[in-house]
Amino acid sequence: MTTPDLKVLESLTRDYAAFQSRKSGLATALGGLMAIILVLTALSPNLMGADLLKRPLLDYILFVPFLWLVLKWLGGLLLYRGLGTVKAMPDERYERRRWFWILGLALFLMAFLLVGLYSFMNGFLIQNPSGEPVCPPASWVLWLPLLYLLPMPWVIRGIEEARVYAVLVSQCMIWLVPLFLFAFGPRNPPDRVWTMAGHLSMSAFLILILLIQIWGALAMIRGWKEHRNYLAILRALPQES
Amino acid sequence: MAKPEDNPKAILDLDRMVHEPARLAILTVLASAKEVAFLFLQRVTGLNKGNLSSHAQKLEAAGYLETVKAFQGRIPVTSFRITEEGRAALRLYHHQMRALLPKEGKP
Repeated sequence: MTTPDLKVLESLTRDYAAFQSRKSGLATALGGLMAIILVLTALSPNLMGADLLKRPLLDYILFVPFLWLVLKWLGGLLLYRGLGTVKAMPDERYERRRWFWILGLALFLMAFLLVGLYSFMNGFLIQNPSGEPVCPPASWVLWLPLLYLLPMPWVIRGIEEARVYAVLVSQCMIWLVPLFLFAFGPRNPPDRVWTMAGHLSMSAFLILILLIQIWGALAMIRGWKEHRNYLAILRALPQES
Repeated sequence: MAKPEDNPKAILDLDRMVHEPARLAILTVLASAKEVAFLFLQRVTGLNKGNLSSHAQKLEAAGYLETVKAFQGRIPVTSFRITEEGRAALRLYHHQMRALLPKEGKP
């Protein structure tokens, strides 16, 4: 065994371990693809109000992040665990960055939930005291952001995964926005401040949709590259004697 | 104190537990990760099952690695972890070898 061989062994082990703990390969690509499909579905007016198995399509769309988590787990199990588990050396800097992402996503969800609740109170309880809902979603929808929050610390291993999850959750939030801001909001805006807030939020969401499209495309490319890197690691391993 | 390169018998001081190529490869792999599955270790070192088990047992007896046995569902999974003693022995071995080997360009 020569010195370069030992260096190769070291780098192969580190790369394999890093892949298992931080990268999700095809799951990243799949997340990007799902985000793009969600945007295209959202932009299609015929699909927006469509039913699937006697339930509104929206009900299913809201579970897309969870579907992605399941597919990611299955993909990892079937594609990236072929040679067993190799746990990477702890990397504090990386862990800090990962938690920064998770905290960021948690804050985003909390902010969204607060806006949603405010909108609900303003539009439904105050502006519409008769109690007649304009377009009521199921009551659990109000608490859905908290449901998105639950699996993050356990299921999201790497920064790439946190990014993809953030994009999918944001996408699903966009599906909820009309419910929160417009259906529950006042039908005739009482003042200019509320109208301006509406315009601002619409502009922000349009920018968010554009960013999600760009990120979705980048995630597809990045995920595919990661997958190819993984295959390269497997090819670099010595053949069984 | 005499430097290792000045002492012709310094090569005899090498830790033979680490010096054996297969065991050196095993320790090198284990030192690069927190925990390594048997299957990956076997594949990356190119050893067969019997050889790997035998070397792992020797390294475990020397206190250089520890075996972790777990279950994935109903399937038993064996992994290895390098101990602090193993890491120190590998570091010392690298240090000794660097001192013993001629500098590049000076055969």
